[in-house]
Amino acid sequence: MSTTPRSRTPSRVGTPVPGGSPSRLVLAPPLRPTHSLTNLRVYSKSSSSGASSSSHSTSPSTTPIAISAVNTPPPGNAEGILVTEAEAEPDVEESEAIGIGRVASPAGDEDSKKNLRDHLRQTLSYRQSTADMASRPPKKKSKTLNLNELPHELVDSFTPRQYFVLTEADSTDSDDSASAYALMQALISIFLDDNNDKLRCINAGATRITFLLRPPLYYVCISDWGEPEGVTRNHLEYLHLQILSVVTASHLRKMFERRRNSDLGRLLGGAENILNSLLHRLEWDLALSTSSLHCLKLDTGLRARLADALVPSSKAKDVLYVILVANGQVVTLVRPKKHSIHPADLHILVNTIYAPSILTSPAAVSWLPICLPKFNPNGFVNAYVNFLVRGRGDEDEPGQNTASSAEEASSPTAREGPAPAQSAPGKEEESGGRGKDIDIGLVCISGGPDFETVRTWCDSVIKKMGSDGALDALITAVRTGATVYSVSELGIPGLRHFVYKSRSHVQITAPVFEDPYDVKREQQRCVHASHYSLLPCLTAAAAAGRLITLYQTLHDAIHARSGQAGSLKLQYIKTQKESVMGWITQPFELYVALSSRLPKSAVVGAANAVARWVKKEEGRLFLTNAPVF
Amino acid sequence: MAESGSGAADKSVQVKLVLLGEAAVGKSSIVLRFVSNEFQANKEPTIGAAFLTQKCRLEDRVLRYEIWDTAGQERFHSLAPMYYRNAQAAVVVYDVTKASSLEKAKSWVKELQRQANPNIVIALAGNKVDLVQPSPSASGSGSAVESEDEADDATATPGENAAAAEQPESLRQVPRDEAEAYAKEAGLLFFETSAKTGEGVVEIFTEIAKKIPIEHILASSRGTGRPGAAGRSGGAQEGGVNLEENAAKGKDACNC
Repeated sequence: MSTTPRSRTPSRVGTPVPGGSPSRLVLAPPLRPTHSLTNLRVYSKSSSSGASSSSHSTSPSTTPIAISAVNTPPPGNAEGILVTEAEAEPDVEESEAIGIGRVASPAGDEDSKKNLRDHLRQTLSYRQSTADMASRPPKKKSKTLNLNELPHELVDSFTPRQYFVLTEADSTDSDDSASAYALMQALISIFLDDNNDKLRCINAGATRITFLLRPPLYYVCISDWGEPEGVTRNHLEYLHLQILSVVTASHLRKMFERRRNSDLGRLLGGAENILNSLLHRLEWDLALSTSSLHCLKLDTGLRARLADALVPSSKAKDVLYVILVANGQVVTLVRPKKHSIHPADLHILVNTIYAPSILTSPAAVSWLPICLPKFNPNGFVNAYVNFLVRGRGDEDEPGQNTASSAEEASSPTAREGPAPAQSAPGKEEESGGRGKDIDIGLVCISGGPDFETVRTWCDSVIKKMGSDGALDALITAVRTGATVYSVSELGIPGLRHFVYKSRSHVQITAPVFEDPYDVKREQQRCVHASHYSLLPCLTAAAAAGRLITLYQTLHDAIHARSGQAGSLKLQYIKTQKESVMGWITQPFELYVALSSRLPKSAVVGAANAVARWVKKEEGRLFLTNAPVF
Repeated sequence: MAESGSGAADKSVQVKLVLLGEAAVGKSSIVLRFVSNEFQANKEPTIGAAFLTQKCRLEDRVLRYEIWDTAGQERFHSLAPMYYRNAQAAVVVYDVTKASSLEKAKSWVKELQRQANPNIVIALAGNKVDLVQPSPSASGSGSAVESEDEADDATATPGENAAAAEQPESLRQVPRDEAEAYAKEAGLLFFETSAKTGEGVVEIFTEIAKKIPIEHILASSRGTGRPGAAGRSGGAQEGGVNLEENAAKGKDACNC
């Protein structure tokens, strides 16, 4: 333990650069963990909206076990300052960022800039030695199985990640966070100045600061979750895509060409909750980490019936995609023959419509412009969004609420005077109890501005799905829990959870998180039994955070996303709490988590068994054939 | 649902109405109050536009409002024509505690009068009036001074006024007189409203309903089912407003 540089920088925050200039590194206030899981700050001149926001309120505490268990050497890239070149990253178009612009650092501080540069040079050479030390080949325990065992530093404390969006604006504010922004801007600009280098990541003790340069915007994430650099870069990439979905790339570029001090906060006004829900999603949704779709598990025949109803008539000629979602997952989607939809666009779209602005809106229908950046980063399409079912799917809902579009339910015919609180369906029905939360939404993406045509057509779709019983069947499936599955259904001893990605379908499937990873249930328990200490409530969140981070570490390793020398076929990590393994083959990627008491051979056996089971269930687990038009 | 084109079936007249105004003045809250008689504090900002419907009975007629509740952020401004095109009515909302929001409202009015349906009925609504009134819970009477022009009927006892009324009224940035004078000059219906308490909200829609040339819509929708489209080509009714109607507000609210 004492051999790791980590022990030399015991404080987790406040010292991003070991040996760096302490006077400029007073980052403490903005970097200190807050009560929220994620923190987003959009910063630009004159924007007072340092909107730090909470999308989640469990910040798990440290459990002592892990700390003493950390004896394994850290992975090769876990320490020191790393500034790596842009590697081949499948999802990241690094090249487009080059030469568009450079960050303006606060004017008139050439000296401090030079100081910083010198310090950074020192720390860079410092890194050489530690890198040598840390890059010892990982030991292979079991040669027969030919597993690559990745030493893993177990983190058991998941303080909220912090996200920053910076612009080229000079910082004129003098508060603490402004100095942090200025520092980040300076760091970015120093490297660009030097040799058009792009700063990617700084490691400071357990804290990693990741940068993504997408001029005129610059993204920074600060995390101490111990995930590989590629993970948080991916987060930042998604954050960028979501911002583009709000303003489009061309508009953004024009704005900042016209005025370098354009106010990004104002430009994104009203979209804060979309960005926040995205950050929340990024923490937990493995479909985003694996750049794939996680569709709703459903009977093949029912899925096909629903899809048939969605095929647009020739009249709706501007229609681009029609998507049916349930509980945040795609049920089916219909597309033109020549367009496949990029998973990232789908995530951006689903995240947008599930933002509280739309999901909890009393409106019957929302009609909003959205840019799907992988489809066309420079233009908007229009999205028709109609939540046919919303909130608790209690017994009496479906007939009334779905056969007629949701509006009728919320507008009693010709009321006599302002009606006494006739609540819109599902809203404010806090009272806990039976009935799973259900929401089913119809989304129609149109290239044209004609709402009436889209609405008329969507109404007919809803009618069709209602009259042939497909919608009710879907509601029933969701309500009875048939659309999710437990890992116990597989009957594989010791198996706790897995994620299977079908590479040809670009889709994943995974069982629900259960003990010890079941965050939701644990939260409920804590709410109901408030006399218990709050601490136990947080162990599931910590466990889930740990598992997801492990999966991400495996994913990163088998794809060599963070500048590793090469990708791997198999990767195994054992912690005190569980064993995980990542396995990539031609048709699939598989990540399994088992009890740590089981031997490696059992892990491999379980992986094979999962692959067989998924193969058998493929039709229900994946969206395999949706109609085109 | 299948309301489109089937207006004749339930004898209701479809009226397309759009809400415009600066961000965070309370457009969605006004609609929510009107449609569901609810109020949500800290409402999330609207994205794009939300579409709602509400029926409103006026004497022997049933109006079916098709309401476009638009997002107020500047970046959505360029989309507004899509929503006010063919609208028969518009509610332009400002916040009585924010002077700049009235300026924004005026520019919306100007744009509507220039580019929207020439027959469009426009209402100006100064929302959040509850913020400039003493809270009714402070005392039983709740009759403290509201604004200058209503001071005469507010025969409050001096003692409670000092505590309850002074603070709220100081939040007001748009005097009622000023906004009302502007509305009169521009030919708009005028209301001060509180989506929170419900004050004045239903009246907006009632008064609009009275002013809408219903016969005209009925006549033109018979053919097309798209009343707005036809309404546009119809005889240009003068944009002027009969202020008597405004004065009569509240007397016979449409029982919506």
